[in-house]
Order: sequence, then C-alpha cells, then structure tokens
Amino acid sequence: MNPLREDLLNTGAALVAELVGEGAPAGLAAGAASAQEGFRLTPPSVAALSRAVAVLRAHGVPLCVRGSGDAPVVPPLGGVVLDLCSLDRISSLDGETGLAHVEAGCSVNALETAARRSGATLGALLPSVRAGSVGAWLAGPTRGERGVPGARRETAALSVAAVLGDGKVAESRCAPRSACGPDLDHLALGGGGRLCVIALAWVRLFPASPALSSSWRSGGLPQALQAVARLCRERLAPARARLVGNRLALAWEGMETAPFDRERAARTLLAEGLVPVPDPETTLWVRGPPEGEVVEVDAQWEALARIAPLASELQLVGLHAGGSFAMLALPGCGTEICAQKARAAGAQVVAPRRLRDAGPSWAEQGAGAVWQRLVEALGVEISAQPGEEKR
Amino acid sequence: MRLPVPTARGLALQRDLRALLGEASASCDPADLWASSRDCWPRALLWTRAGIAPHPPDLVCWPANVEEVARVVRYAAEHEVAVVPFGGGSGVCGGTVPVRGGIALDLKRLAGAPLLDLAARTVEVEAGLNGQRLEELLNESGATLGHFPANLYSSTVGGWLATRSAGHSSSRYGKVEDLVLSLEAVDGTGQILRTVEGPSTGPDLTQLLVGSEGTLAVITRAKLRCWPKPPAHWLRGVRFPSLEKGLKALRLLQRAGLRPSVARLSDPIDALLAGRGLPGGSAESGALPLPLRFLVRAGQRESVRFLLRAPLLLNGVAESLPSFPLCILGFEGARAVEAEEEGAAALRLCARAGGVDLGPAPGERWLTHRYQESHRAAPLFAAGAFVDTMEVATTWDRLLRLHAAVRNAVAPHAFVFAHFSHSYLEGCSIDFTFLGLAGRAASADQDEAALELEEAEARYDACWKAALSAAAAEGATLSHHHGIGMHKQIFLTREHGEGMRQLRALKRAFDPRGILNPGKLLL
Repeated sequence: MNPLREDLLNTGAALVAELVGEGAPAGLAAGAASAQEGFRLTPPSVAALSRAVAVLRAHGVPLCVRGSGDAPVVPPLGGVVLDLCSLDRISSLDGETGLAHVEAGCSVNALETAARRSGATLGALLPSVRAGSVGAWLAGPTRGERGVPGARRETAALSVAAVLGDGKVAESRCAPRSACGPDLDHLALGGGGRLCVIALAWVRLFPASPALSSSWRSGGLPQALQAVARLCRERLAPARARLVGNRLALAWEGMETAPFDRERAARTLLAEGLVPVPDPETTLWVRGPPEGEVVEVDAQWEALARIAPLASELQLVGLHAGGSFAMLALPGCGTEICAQKARAAGAQVVAPRRLRDAGPSWAEQGAGAVWQRLVEALGVEISAQPGEEKR
Repeated sequence: MRLPVPTARGLALQRDLRALLGEASASCDPADLWASSRDCWPRALLWTRAGIAPHPPDLVCWPANVEEVARVVRYAAEHEVAVVPFGGGSGVCGGTVPVRGGIALDLKRLAGAPLLDLAARTVEVEAGLNGQRLEELLNESGATLGHFPANLYSSTVGGWLATRSAGHSSSRYGKVEDLVLSLEAVDGTGQILRTVEGPSTGPDLTQLLVGSEGTLAVITRAKLRCWPKPPAHWLRGVRFPSLEKGLKALRLLQRAGLRPSVARLSDPIDALLAGRGLPGGSAESGALPLPLRFLVRAGQRESVRFLLRAPLLLNGVAESLPSFPLCILGFEGARAVEAEEEGAAALRLCARAGGVDLGPAPGERWLTHRYQESHRAAPLFAAGAFVDTMEVATTWDRLLRLHAAVRNAVAPHAFVFAHFSHSYLEGCSIDFTFLGLAGRAASADQDEAALELEEAEARYDACWKAALSAAAAEGATLSHHHGIGMHKQIFLTREHGEGMRQLRALKRAFDPRGILNPGKLLL
C-alpha cells in the first residue's frame, strides 16, 4: 500500500481517492498510487484533523482546505483536499453574551440560523462569506471582518484554534482584547491556510434587532457614495447600503442606537443635497440580491469613488471610516472585466474566489524576506499552490 | 544612587555610532545609562529605591529618522549587539529594561509634526512623539485621537503601539490596535517595512507588529484613525446594588450598541478609596475612614507600613465598610443633545440593572482627578510600600468569578481593589490595584535599603504569582493593555500554549539574529 495512504488512514479520517479530471494535478508528490489520483480527506474530529495535517506535512504533500458551503476545489499540484465538512458542529452558542464556539467546517449560514434562534446575528456579511464555511471566512481575504458600531471593522473571531504544520493545536485565549505580544490569531486570519489550518473559533455575535432603514434620491451613484462615505466619517455607518442609479437605501441595526443614527444621518444626507423618498419597501430592497453579474471587493472610499461612475449598482456592508466591502456590478461587464476594473481602481477582489489575488502582499510592504523566513520557521506553507475553484 | 559605569563595549559602541550618526547621537554618560536602564515597572522602582540599576545599557542612542534607526539596527545585527527601543519609559512591565545590555534606542527625536488629514480621519505620526503633545496638536486642529491612557503625559506613540495600549475612552474609540491603520518599522535585519492601509492579502502585518514590544521590529511611524473633537460631553455617576448588577449594566450598554466615552465601574473598595462610594464625599474631604485615609494620603509612613503588615485584615476591614459599586458613565457628541440622548438611553439600561443616577458630580470629580491616581504611587513607594496594577480581561460570563478569584488570591499578600474600565461586546477588562509592604521608608540608609530589596522583591513576586495564577485559572488573558515585558513572561507559555512556537517563528522571521529587545516575551 502507498505509505501516505496508509498513514492517512491511521489518522481516523475518511479517505477518498478520486479522479480529478482534466487539468488536475499529475499525482501525489510522495509515492502516489496513481498518476491520475488525488485525495480528498475528511477528518471527523479536530484530533483527526491534527493528525492528518501532521502526516501530510511529514510527507511533504501540499493541501487545500474546504468546508461546508465552500466552492468545490481541486487539490493543489500533487496535493490533497482537506474536507472539513464533518467538522461542522456548534458546540455552544449564547445569544446573551454574544459568543459561539464553532468548528471551522460549519457553514456561515448554519451559524447565522442558530444565532438567530438565540436572538443574535453575525451581522451584515458579503454573500460569498455567508455561503461559505466559517473557516474559509476567517482564513480568507476578509479575515472574518465585519462592521462594528463606531464606524470600525473588526474580525468576528474572538479566539482561534489552529492546527500547525506538525499537527499541534495553538489556541488563543477567549478574551475581548489582549496585550500578550503580537496577536497570533493573525497568523491564521487571512492566511488562506498557508501557515496553519483553522479548526475551531469563538465567534462574536451581535444582538439581533430589527433594522431601521431610510431611502434617498441622489444626483447619481457617485454623489450617493460620497454621502455614505461622509456618514461613516461621522461615525454614523449603516449596517448596509444599496446604491442603484440615483436611488440610495440605508439600514441601521443596533437596539438603542439605530434610531439616533438614522435621525443624525438624515441631517448629513440633506446637507449633501440628497432628497428623502418615503418607501415602505426600503428594508427589503436594501437587502435584495444585486442585479447582474457582481464581484465582491474590499476597498477604501477613494477606490470606490473611482469605480462609482462606472457602476450600475453598489451594495455595501462592513462599512467603516476608511472604506467598505462592496458588491459591485458594472453594466455590460462580465465578472472578469468587472474584477479587472475594480483592481485597477485600487480595490481588492474578494469573490469570486478564482479572481482573488493569490499570494500574501508582504513583499510589497518590504517584508518579502520576512515572509520567506516565517514559512521556513513555521515549516507549514501548507498550500503550495492554492486550489482552483471549479468552474 | 550608584550610577552605572560605562563599559568598554559601550565606549566602543559610542565611537562607532557617533561615526555613523553624528557626535550628539550616542552617549555612555552614567546618567543617560541610568535613565534608560528601567521604565516605571514597580519592581524597577524598588531597584531605584535601593539605589541600584542592575540592567543598564552599554550605550544610549538617539536616531533622528527611520534611516538612522535602520543604520543602527544593521550595525547591531552585524555586531550581534542587543537593541532595546525606548520611548517615554512609562511602561509598567519592564519592557524596556536592557537585560542583555547593548544599545538603548531612544526614539524621542522621531517626533516631527503629525500629518493630519481630518477629512479622511487620519493622522500620520512618528513613534517618538509624546502622547499628550500629539493630543494637544490634534486639538489645535479640532481633532482628537480619543486615546487617553493613564500615562498620556509621559508615553509615546511608539510605546502605545508596542504594548497595545488602552485609554479611558477605549469603549468609544477602541484600543490603539483598533486605531492603527498602517505602520512603518525596521525589522531585525535593518529592513524598513511599510505596511499598507486598507485591503491587503495574507495575514495582517500591522497586527502582527502591534504589541510585539520591540522584539520583532522597531516601530518608527504610524498612521492612526482620528476624529473631530466632540464639543459636547455628558457625565454621570451611577450607583449599583452589587457588582453583578453593575456588570450587567455594562454588558447591556455594549450589547445595545452604545459607545460611552467613559464606562468605569469601581468595585466597592475602589469607589470608597476614591471617595466616590461615599455620599457627597471625597477622600480629601475626610469622609474616608481613617485607616484607609492613611493609604490614600501616604503622609504618615509608619502608619502605612503598619497597615500593610496585615493585608488580610486590612482587606477584611475595607470589605466590611459601607460602600457600593459605582460606575462613571460618559458620552460625547457633535451636539449636546446627541450626548444627552445616548446618556439617557444608557441610564434607562442602568435602571434595568438596579442602577441609581447620582447626577454629574461623581463623573466630574473623576474627570478632574483621572490622571492623578498614577502619580499617587510615588509617596507610597517613599513610605515603604509598593503599588502595582494588573489588568486582565475575559468574557462577560467569567468576569465576576475572575474578580473574586484574584481578590481572594491577593488578599493575603496586599491590599487589593479593582475597577472595570474597558468594555466590549463580548467582555471587559479588570484593573486590579495592589498595595503591599515593600520595606522601610526610602529615607532609610541606602545600604540597608539594598539589603531589604531581596525581601521586598520576594513579597512583590509572591503577590503577582498569586494574582496571575488566579487569573490564568479563570481563563483570563494575562494582560489587557500593559503588555508582558520582563514582568509577566514566566506566565506567557500558559497564555499561548502551542502558540509560543508561532511566536518564536515570528521572532526568527523578523529578527533572525535575535538582537531586538532580547529577554522579553520569552524571546
């Protein structure tokens, strides 16, 4: 028997060998059973996941990770798909204190459903985030961030348990803030599974409260965007905003603060020259699915202002004083062109996954050598070549 | 005071660094070496009290810009000399004590005029700029950082970032890690890093450098979020029937989305000592019971030491005195009505937890005296006591247990009281104050004082060991905003577990020669 296969079976994980089709990796690096064979490995527990990661690293096999709801992936060249769909348990959820302890393979949608049952919510998120797994959300380009009161953004992960390359699990303290050296969770958050695999997380929840919305008419999408940016810089960031043509809809959440924020925002919007439009459907419309093909981006206000004149629709969540996540549709453009234009304007493409920027940008920050040394020191650049989304 | 003597290595470094940066940029003068040999760690204050400086640097160096910092670090890496970044020297964990000698890299010359872009709500500032000066400069332009740590007057921006500092308005503006947008820093090879503001791919480089206490890189500049200075303020004191109810109110405020500029809940003893727990009284007004008045005023040294000889009894007496938990609540706004609206909403939530509005007087008293508490320590040290604070944090469900556990653990060693002052959606921090017996008064013979040091350190260590063990057992994080330094590092493995390997990997990546602030964070 293939020694890798034997070692993997000893981890307790379910092992599926499958043909991965045209364009798939040529075979496993360490003595593949078949040149056409790739593995999908499904650990049933965090312990099995730890053992699996250790085995894969010991054999020098790259891997990529997939959880419930994530787009199907093919293994990296000569590697394995680590399927976390069985790690989808929510071990505790307390709406009153706003904490959920959840396995990384759990889908964000399932967590939101459970949170709502306890009178809590994850807040407004990008659709690609909501459709994917908790692990993909936290390890992905948004780093699990969402808008919080005060026109700020912070990660939803209060604490992360991550499997290191040798299979050991590093778990941070479950505290709202800490000053015990660098925030080590940030090796996992946004890391795309390169330095460790997120296994579990304590996730922060907001109290669920009905949204208060308002509807406005502007001179066009750029003017509306400028007004929304100003709201954020006045600490009046809404939970979500939708801009289509000259129509602007905003929604605030927050049990006590939503009425204040909506009223104060109205003064600012009037000063920006926008006109209120009574619309009983606003609360629904502001959450409605965007029209046409969209890309999801993370951008500063300046970048969004460069895109706005081209856009037919912008939906914003995770708004903060510096920028926002945005769902962006450009008239007559497919997602590729849309992503290209967004990138040219200075935005970072979040979804679709196949259009994301591939590697960490540390080199652009003068830390390319640091990154190389970090990978060497941790010895766990697990995903040598990130898995491609199946189209 | 026995000042450090310049070493041969120090003189050699002085020659080389003066050649590198100019004549006035490096010094081996004993007074300079002593000034950079410690920060405000109470244990280091005990050293000073005993007239010794056990860990002086070999040299103090004052670079003027990031290029000079990079040059010094490259030189140090080449010669394998330790480099300890030094800001205001107001840290309380020994984070800047040069345990392996080397170069104390004093960054106070990196204090150019901040670049404010109020429209974008950002300010770019060099690391050596004094915190109070920065706030004054921002205020002159109608802006505020909203960051008001207790050591605002004596700390620098770089120090804040290196230790993940917090100010009393953190519930509204966030801690410094929430304010920072990007950084400039020099890693252990002398490479200048400039992290990006806004979206970037991969792990967040900024957040990995913030809190690294000079062990990964020397922070030289930062871009921070700032805000228009709000003209309207609202302050109140709210009395609660129990600590549990007070904490419930803090949680309700946070969960309702309210962002107070102040939310400081004192336990009954803290409220009593500050005079806020007394009807209409203050510590200065004589309303405080006599034994505690000795501690607050520290005027009669023998009395202070007498009281601290029996901390268990003293804690018991203080607990039996009539007092109540008291919360100082504050809100801000662009208009008075905004602060009032939010204040009124907060009072409604407090009332749901049994809170009684005491009006603005307790809040105004706190506002007037808010920075004095840190400066009350000096007379107590002089009287033969030690004073220290421990700030730990946890989630809402564990806070009350944590408070009781630490109080019980410390009570046999020191007089202890606490307040809860940095609250979040998920939890809160607790600041414990310990007041213990160090030895004789500072006026005693210096040689005798040195002999007493060992005993004083043993008492101090026993107190801390008990406190940190209790906090760790309750699942709290060991530091909320003071950092680790030398002080808490023996507990760091307990804090991070397997994460220590990640921390060491970061060290090897950023500082392969291990020259940056060695002996801190177990690195």
